[in-house]
Amino acid sequence: MKKLYALAALLSLAGIADALYLTIEHVTGQTVRCTILSGCSEVLSSQYAVVAGIPLAAVGAAAYFTVFSLATLALFGYDIAGKILTPLVVAMFFVSVWLFYLQAFVIRQFCQYCLFSAAITTCLLVIVVSLRWFKPAAH
Amino acid sequence: MKRILPFIIILVVLAAALTSAWYLTRTIPASQNPAANQPAPASPGSPQASPEQSQSPVVTGIPGADPPHVLGPANAPVRLEEFGDFECPPCGMFHPILEQMRAEFGDKLQLTFREFPLVPTHQHALPAASAAEAAGLQGKFWEMHDLIYEHQNDWKKEFDVRPIFEGYAKQIGLDVERFKRDVGSDAVALRIMQDGKRGHSLGVKGTPTVFLNGREVSFENLPAEKLRVVIQNELRGAGQ
Repeated sequence: MKKLYALAALLSLAGIADALYLTIEHVTGQTVRCTILSGCSEVLSSQYAVVAGIPLAAVGAAAYFTVFSLATLALFGYDIAGKILTPLVVAMFFVSVWLFYLQAFVIRQFCQYCLFSAAITTCLLVIVVSLRWFKPAAH
Repeated sequence: MKRILPFIIILVVLAAALTSAWYLTRTIPASQNPAANQPAPASPGSPQASPEQSQSPVVTGIPGADPPHVLGPANAPVRLEEFGDFECPPCGMFHPILEQMRAEFGDKLQLTFREFPLVPTHQHALPAASAAEAAGLQGKFWEMHDLIYEHQNDWKKEFDVRPIFEGYAKQIGLDVERFKRDVGSDAVALRIMQDGKRGHSLGVKGTPTVFLNGREVSFENLPAEKLRVVIQNELRGAGQ
């Protein structure tokens, strides 16, 4: 259990770094130039990249930080944090699926940083499902 | 101690994230993204171009397609060369800016357009470049260039863009049958390849990339108000 919480905390650190980078790129407009390697300009300049004036990447960074905090607290024995972690990660996974759909079928461009974030969220989902599955019986 | 250790870890991570964000936001220059938080100019109405423009080296590279697509007199004191991709949204946004610069600077500014389709990032970039070059073989490159950019949002989401470009060809009075043949011709492919090779020799990695009298204009200087200052500085340097 503890190893899984530690793994979730480490993965969410990677998620924070990725989302923070995307936020900075978005805010400073660095990814707006089109390049051979990346479709980030299309993705980050699309209407879906901003929610109520806030870059979606910033929302992602906040979500990953919350996951990190909850996983760290759960690692140190705060059971309530572990209980909150599951619905949060499930919600993040569904948002990731929606964003993947937008990239694949609406914007028709993939941004590798967004895909990396989706991969992290998927791994986090596997971890929280494993935590529920292998939850030791209460005595 | 064990009870408060997780909170200390969380606070350390939060501080590290905020510090990194603050540092990177200050070190990465803002660009023309409309969503970007651009710093206010020194005084209203007098935007400052980034100072590195005058320090960037003059580059020549290998020749591109010959003859190039040029607007403006050959002896213009400022020669602007753009490497563009017709499907690239920032290139589409840059198109009216160049029109504005042409209107403002007239014969003092010469424009050259170079093909730099970003394949495979943009699935229709190559057909669009081919359509413009095929129109060029009938002497109407700029007419097609303008139509393709102005209607970028109309065709970029389509599955098959050929009928749309053929429609543009008809609209600007081209021989459509010849246009259809030319789009897939070796002559058109060769021109695009030569422009691409020139771009690579100049270190072009993305679009739009703009050179002014052989010096690359940084991306942050491409909004109209900054590009105008860069051109004015270049004119002053040429004694105009």
